[in-house]
Amino acid sequence: MRMRVAFAKEDRAKFIGHLDLTKVFERSMRRAEIPMAFSEGFNPHPKMSFGSALALGATSLREYVDIELAQELSPAEFMQRLQAQLPTGLRLLDVREIPAQLKPLMAVLNCASYKVSVPLLLPVSQEKVEEVVQRFLAQENIAYVRYSKKGKQEKNLRPFIRHLSGKVYEDRLELELELDITEQGSVKPVELVGVMREFGELPVDVEGMRVHRTGIYIRNDEGKLVSPLDL
Amino acid sequence: MLEMTPEQIRDVVEVRILPKVLKPGRYLGNEWNAVHKDWEQAKVKLAFAFPDVYEVGMSHLGTRILYHLVNSFEHYLLERVFAPWVDMEGEMRKRKVPLFSLESYHPVKSFDIVGFTLQYELSFSNLLNMLELSGIPLHSSERGDGYPLVIAGGPCAYNPEPLADFIDLFLIGESEEQLPELLELVSRAKELGWSRQELLEGAAGIGGVYVPALYRVDYKEDGRLRSFEPVKAGVPKVITKRVVKDLDKAFFPEQAIVPNMEIVHDRVMLEVLRGCSRGCRFCQAGMLYRPVRERSPQTLLRQAGSLVSSTGYDEISLTSLSTGDYTCVQPVVRALIAGFKDKGVGVSLPSLRIDSFDVGLAEEVQKVRKSGLTFAPEAGTQRLRDVINKNVSEEDLIRTTQAAFSKGWSSVKLYFMIGLPTEEQADLEGIAALARKVADLGSSAGRRNVTITVSTSSFVPKAHTPLQWEGQEGISSLRAKQQYLREKLRDRRLRYNWHDAETSFLEAVFAKGDRRLGRALELAHSKGCKFDGWSEHFKYEVWLEALAEEGLDPHFYANRALEYDELLPWDHIDSGVSKQFLADEHQAALNGSITKDCRYEECYACGVCPELGAAVELKGGV
Repeated sequence: MRMRVAFAKEDRAKFIGHLDLTKVFERSMRRAEIPMAFSEGFNPHPKMSFGSALALGATSLREYVDIELAQELSPAEFMQRLQAQLPTGLRLLDVREIPAQLKPLMAVLNCASYKVSVPLLLPVSQEKVEEVVQRFLAQENIAYVRYSKKGKQEKNLRPFIRHLSGKVYEDRLELELELDITEQGSVKPVELVGVMREFGELPVDVEGMRVHRTGIYIRNDEGKLVSPLDL
Repeated sequence: MLEMTPEQIRDVVEVRILPKVLKPGRYLGNEWNAVHKDWEQAKVKLAFAFPDVYEVGMSHLGTRILYHLVNSFEHYLLERVFAPWVDMEGEMRKRKVPLFSLESYHPVKSFDIVGFTLQYELSFSNLLNMLELSGIPLHSSERGDGYPLVIAGGPCAYNPEPLADFIDLFLIGESEEQLPELLELVSRAKELGWSRQELLEGAAGIGGVYVPALYRVDYKEDGRLRSFEPVKAGVPKVITKRVVKDLDKAFFPEQAIVPNMEIVHDRVMLEVLRGCSRGCRFCQAGMLYRPVRERSPQTLLRQAGSLVSSTGYDEISLTSLSTGDYTCVQPVVRALIAGFKDKGVGVSLPSLRIDSFDVGLAEEVQKVRKSGLTFAPEAGTQRLRDVINKNVSEEDLIRTTQAAFSKGWSSVKLYFMIGLPTEEQADLEGIAALARKVADLGSSAGRRNVTITVSTSSFVPKAHTPLQWEGQEGISSLRAKQQYLREKLRDRRLRYNWHDAETSFLEAVFAKGDRRLGRALELAHSKGCKFDGWSEHFKYEVWLEALAEEGLDPHFYANRALEYDELLPWDHIDSGVSKQFLADEHQAALNGSITKDCRYEECYACGVCPELGAAVELKGGV
């Protein structure tokens, strides 16, 4: 049977990397004596697949993972047994059995929303932020250069941005983002904020930025956001 | 300057530093099974310091044992600290964050004891760096009553002299024995308000504790030792190691910390036996950990069950110096495989000797997880293998690899040493010939993709071994040998790796060094030497500079052959094996005559059993 699991990645778990998270779940399930289904071959590994990767250091209100079991187990019992064995900071929110033929999370999740908090180095007015955001979004091309093992890669961030707004609090700027995830990948909030700071000469401390993913969804043909648990 | 509180440290580290460094999971301390004790309630607080990076230190079995042992006492607290990686260290220095413990983020300086484990000589510079990052004076003599007691143990404590200026006391042997006694003494000292000096003198009365400040060393004009004497009555002249007498009843943790990131040995480690009496003459562990003591299959199976259910690991590794020698290895492996296969848990056997290797057993292990095969013939000819008492033959290797190839393996790793005493050209040729012979066996067994990886390390003479009197071969001649093998091993089926001769040279300097070396160590540290075991950080030139500036000749330590009647810097440390036995074994090496294993033959009177009141303990009956 196949389970779709919703979980929160809170502060105490935010430095568990995406690849390590698989191991963390596998070990927690073994401790919980949950009958995992394994792949065949020399190096069997549990059949488990996560949705879109969350950046190291970011927290999330709601993430998803699909897990295949070798034996029947009720979602309620699965949840109760697994939660008892998960490290602090990983909190299960919902577990449902899903049909075996349902498309994997990676193939369907196409939109993520974030709340980003960046400390202000100097006071900034709400008007100034709104003006910068407006001009920023009016551009057709928002160039970002990503350096990786593959070398230098230029990317236009604009097509990925669905929504961007900012609100000034006493000592920090809070941004709300809605970003598309496409076959060409997506944008990392840290990249976006870095580019916007340069663009608008905003006195923000990107190093002290906190990223919180508030949701990850499927935008359907009517443009509505749907949870992968509601398919 | 005001000390930072744990809350302040956590705030700076988690918000400012961790998002910028590699592998932040190294510094969090919130792993599954990590023990978080009440700081205020603990009578004695020990920071257990591993002078290397997290993923290396967390893989060390001794650390895992002591962690849970100390924390099993109600009033003692043990928290971990590792060497921060260079990026982390840079950030910490920039923001003036002192070295802190992982569990509670308390500054290391606020513990009662800081205990280092000394697994290899090339971690010594990290030890000094960690003291500095903690804000603890490097020199034992400069630490007043307010500073933690700085202690050390582990195999390198058997020649503690290069660290004698920096360490208040060393624990010699298997410290699960005397560590609780020391903690009790420290607890009493705190209650009674003893001075540091009173505490150190009291500690010197515990068996297996060496307090270097209580001894005076004199040197001859030629640089050799003249005398080594206690400065006070009642301080033991010789410190004898402590051993666990009944391994089956000894404390062994039935839980283990499960890191949230990958570490080197990321699995359940089941210690099946301690010690090895094969008697390889170069091997320090083989001498230090005697006598051989096994755990019973019942104990091991019970521990495996608890460890898998408390950790969730997918692999159980049977660890020891030579697991193939465990008298119950077959039934234990079969029982583990049968018991855990359905949970997706595999079994691995990391250290197997060629002569005790059983292909049937390896195949069983293979059913669950695939692993490569590694063997250590150590030398290229029978003559040289007899010199080092590595009692495996070419026939053993051929029989074993042939069987392995016929069962489907196609890659084999072979470990050798170069620069061994009496080594000749024929021995080097022998390495190449042996590798080719094994490759040919693979090819004729019909294996495509045969890969034979030959690795050579350079012989490092170690204290407390029969070869301790030997000098190390010079760097240029070791390099020439490596070059020769490179050319000889050109074949698409063969791969050749070798260890840097410079690293082995520095290892030899410290392995046989005396107290004066501490000066060079301190200078090298101040010139930025750290992570010497990591080739990208090893600064050979800086080390030579530091030694020269302190007027110390590294060749005196590494390359000089010692005399039998010479007083050795480690003679006051007693591993239980007598110096006479070591000297006899050295002579036997030079004569090329072998000494068998006392487990299966007669006793060869190494001295360890009567000296320690311990005995060889085999569970399978031989």
